[in-house]
Amino acid sequence: MIELRNFSYRYPNQTRPALAGIQLKIPKGQFCGVVGANGAGKSTLCYALSGFVPHFYRGDVSGILRIGGREIAQTTLGILAGEIGLVFQDPFNQISGARFSVREEVAFGLENLGLARRKIETRVSEVLGLMRLAAIADRSPFELSGGQQQRVAIASILAMQPKVLVLDEPTSQLDPHGTAEVFEALDEITRDRETTVVIVEHKLEWLAEFADRVVVLDAGRVVMDGPARKVLADDGLKKLGIGRTQYSEAAASAQKKRLFRRSGILPITLKQARAFFK
Amino acid sequence: MAGNTLYIEKDSSLHRLHPLTKLSVTLFCLICAFTLPDLLWLLAVYLVILLPPAALGGLLRPFLKSCVTVMTPFVISLTLIQGFFTGGETILLEVGRFAFTAEGALAGLTAAARILLALGGALLLMLSTRPDRLMLAFTQRGLPNSLAYIVLTALQIFPSFQKRAQVILEAQQARGLETKVGVVGRMRLLLPLTGPLVLSSIVDVEARAMALEARAFSRPGRKTSLQVLYDSRGQRIMRFGLIVLSLGLIAARMWLIFYD
Repeated sequence: MIELRNFSYRYPNQTRPALAGIQLKIPKGQFCGVVGANGAGKSTLCYALSGFVPHFYRGDVSGILRIGGREIAQTTLGILAGEIGLVFQDPFNQISGARFSVREEVAFGLENLGLARRKIETRVSEVLGLMRLAAIADRSPFELSGGQQQRVAIASILAMQPKVLVLDEPTSQLDPHGTAEVFEALDEITRDRETTVVIVEHKLEWLAEFADRVVVLDAGRVVMDGPARKVLADDGLKKLGIGRTQYSEAAASAQKKRLFRRSGILPITLKQARAFFK
Repeated sequence: MAGNTLYIEKDSSLHRLHPLTKLSVTLFCLICAFTLPDLLWLLAVYLVILLPPAALGGLLRPFLKSCVTVMTPFVISLTLIQGFFTGGETILLEVGRFAFTAEGALAGLTAAARILLALGGALLLMLSTRPDRLMLAFTQRGLPNSLAYIVLTALQIFPSFQKRAQVILEAQQARGLETKVGVVGRMRLLLPLTGPLVLSSIVDVEARAMALEARAFSRPGRKTSLQVLYDSRGQRIMRFGLIVLSLGLIAARMWLIFYD
């Protein structure tokens, strides 16, 4: 469904490309994690997937980026917004500022899509329940904590039911409980395999739990790409400044200290670690 | 209260009125304030047109409180200034060379009543109408969405802007910036305080513009609303009546000015 062919992008007045020769094919319904060190091009990839590159950020673009057969460069942001949802890192700036309650904030995108009021009400109620926001539905979005604002931002995008959901470090301001809620909600919406999720995330344990596939970026290039189990256990992640999950690290240390003789792919989740150490 | 507004949430028939109906009452009061000839007429309109709806909306107390708070300095200053300097035959008080006259005091009170009526009309609208509902009424009648958005965000973003300014001030103080200084020192402080505030606000504008695009704000075509504005034939007649009355008052005032 998502196809990048030799896609490169350089921001205006920059000498080094932010994305260089990206080759990616992400099928419909896949939960794809993106990891990389700072400046690896993760956010730029999110902007490209949602059309902000090249429609919002000018610069030099080459190669092809298609989503659902539609060429992104040829489609306006207004049209793309109905099909591709983007959740940003900073929750405060995602609040529209034009609505006075969480319920209305979640409805804002649906109003822009021109949905009937009944449909808006139904979708808003569903998403408020899914993101556990029903209790604060009548509060002002500006009075919420950072974590709550981020959940509202995610709910606002989820309500629009995009075919592709792109999330740029959505849990960076959330506590462990909030992070769990976000991933559980994502898991729920992707269960029917109708929504494709691309998520940039530093919390590798969560990616290990939910991602089907992980793409590793370094200096704007895809340096690793494969099933989460394989990529997140790879020793190469440490050299890229990303690190591995605590379970992989524990298993690798045990092997190194000869406490354990089992070989093969290292565990990346708690469940796998339990089986590994048994 | 909704954002940085005066709105007070209540479930009343006043609150449920179409925002344009309430706006037409506000505009009518404003026109009355500038066209009605004397104090009694002004007070009569205030008592008959503004107080009953305020009571009906459960807003009498905040309405009167706001009126008194805002009007007290006006009443005192206008009455004193006009009483002493307008002149007149009925002297009530003499202070040295200055005489405080009844005619002057009446002119001062009339001027204050004009302000009270205009203020009261606006206040009733603000206390009983959510700004987003008012903007929705406008956009339904052709106001561009982007313009309505600017008005609504201005109401909500300002407190956040103040909060950020406070954070920057504290951050600069933590770095040793002395803020308890004289006037010249305060002028020098402006750069380290406003610089980060302006720059971070510019960055915010870009981020918020992107967030709006992600929410299909620029999508072409019809937009809908979760909010429902109830209108009725009675309200439409009332709005029409108020417009006719307002035009009549303006015409009468013009006639008095030019032909009396």
